[in-house]
Amino acid sequence: MKGKRVLIINRGEIAIRVAKALNELGLISVGVWTDNETEPPHLEYCQEWVHLAGSNNKETYLDIPKIMKIIEDYKIDGVHPGYGFLSENREFSETLAKKGITFIGPNPDAVYKMGAKDISKQIAKEAGVPVVPGSTGEVDSVEEAIKIGNEIGYPVLLKAVAGGGGKGMRPCYNEKDVKENFSAVQREALSSFGYAGLLVEKYVLNPHHIEVQILADKKGNVYHVFERECSVQRRHQKIIEEAPSPFIGADEAVRKAICETAVKCAKAVNYDSAGTVEFIMGEDKKFYFLEMNTRIQVEHPITEEITGVDLVANMIKAAFGESLDFNSQEDIKIQGHAIELRICAEDPISMLPAPGKIVGFETTFPQGIRFDHCIYPKFAITPDFDPMIGKLIAKGFNREVALRKVKNALDGLIIDGIKTNIPLHKVILEEENFVKGKYSTNYIGTVKPQEKVPVKDSIESFMVKIAGIELNQMGGVK
Amino acid sequence: MNQEMEDFALDVEVGANRVFEFTHEGKKTKLFTRHLAGKDYYSFDEKRWVKLPKLGANEVLVSNAETYRVFRGFKPSGLHAGGAGALITQMPGKVVKLFKKEGDTVAKGETVLILEAMKMENEIKSGADGFIKAINIKEGQALEAGFLMVEIEE
Repeated sequence: MKGKRVLIINRGEIAIRVAKALNELGLISVGVWTDNETEPPHLEYCQEWVHLAGSNNKETYLDIPKIMKIIEDYKIDGVHPGYGFLSENREFSETLAKKGITFIGPNPDAVYKMGAKDISKQIAKEAGVPVVPGSTGEVDSVEEAIKIGNEIGYPVLLKAVAGGGGKGMRPCYNEKDVKENFSAVQREALSSFGYAGLLVEKYVLNPHHIEVQILADKKGNVYHVFERECSVQRRHQKIIEEAPSPFIGADEAVRKAICETAVKCAKAVNYDSAGTVEFIMGEDKKFYFLEMNTRIQVEHPITEEITGVDLVANMIKAAFGESLDFNSQEDIKIQGHAIELRICAEDPISMLPAPGKIVGFETTFPQGIRFDHCIYPKFAITPDFDPMIGKLIAKGFNREVALRKVKNALDGLIIDGIKTNIPLHKVILEEENFVKGKYSTNYIGTVKPQEKVPVKDSIESFMVKIAGIELNQMGGVK
Repeated sequence: MNQEMEDFALDVEVGANRVFEFTHEGKKTKLFTRHLAGKDYYSFDEKRWVKLPKLGANEVLVSNAETYRVFRGFKPSGLHAGGAGALITQMPGKVVKLFKKEGDTVAKGETVLILEAMKMENEIKSGADGFIKAINIKEGQALEAGFLMVEIEE
């Protein structure tokens, strides 16, 4: 494996993370620079970089023929796709496999099977993994809906087959509700989507998004690296993650069950890399399979922090057919608690992306803080890419300590010139429900911490900023 | 939430020994600075000192969910009085007229452009004698998020 040349088809903090792991393992990290990025910071960590011509993602990070040409021209042995872009693209992994190039990810068959929602659900079902219970197809009559409701238990969701965006959906808490709502939802479905077909599905109240990290090699070994709770979300995107899950807490039976179920899913597709099995968990701690992400995930650092397992390095080792850093499930243990805050270039109240140019960046962190980022002064955040610019990760002896550390770290993180969600994180970290670890995926929508973010900071903070600008102009205090 | 955007002005004069004197709503505040071991520190009372973050000369100043435009070396008329130096205000607006072009000399107090903002036409005057180093705007342009309109070199 040593000396192999690996192309990183990604940018930002994940390209830096991957380059660090490659360099550490004695491989050659090769980065790319596209035309719509000014001074990409990840190149600093790559041992070499090549120009990937093009000014939009379709012409660059998603252009398979162009990437294949670079692979040929620069004698590349392997490719790390990071997350997003081509990380879960079946065509890309198959093309690489045909050319004998190592794809640092799972085999193309696993990418395909877990990539298609209906297929992955079927596979999970066949492997004995619980999926959200419900009708197997369309439900034609109110009697049939009631029958299913009684079978799977209330509450149930009446859902338009063609639905989406919260429309054509109604929760029913008993038989009477189903009777009253059935034809109404049918009418709504017909008028909104032009199709009246309905499904009946278990309605998971106050659900938790809990996912299990998988690490597998090419020798048939599949391990889990415990769970993460990712229930603080906006627009179905995570903003705070923690490991282990405060909701599962000390319930080791549930932890064992969900982790072992995830291993079962991975084994069902002969998984051979790092991946994540996502579940939805109800208030009763019953969990159901949602999907499997066949790539390294944004929030992987919290798992690394509580277990000491280097997921990215092991993923690279697995891809080149090497053994992982451990050889039994018992070697992996949870020690302490970790929290990750996603730092995004966005308005802290509306939570909408706010591009701009960073003019000030300083960090004064407490002991043991990890900050995976791609920030530097003068870094321009353009609307072309995801607004996430960094991940602030704190590990502590327990959740209380991790919270204390991450809060302190946030106070020492200064990013100026752009709007960020730092003020929102500050509110959440003080908010009662979050502090107690009592939150579900409804958190942002119902607790609304964003409404407690002050529109602007104190007048003194402005004075300090102006002094900072002026002194920098004058070349510091003399 | 979503308060009405307020007209917000903060004037600053930089005195000897890098002491900053701010004026906001008629109230004056002094901010002291000092340099120690490669870092800058600030204090409001000359007793308790705190690290001063380094900031690049930027077009905008962001505070939580609001963006303010930074005017350096000149100030829009009709706002709070103050000396030359940096003045900050939050004023989304439209460029009505430009009186100068790049390279022109300009005298202190001379009108450089007119900016329509807050339903008022504001004469933007130079705060210093010098020449126009750069003009980053054109007539009719709507300025939304705020940026450095004109750079004047003394």
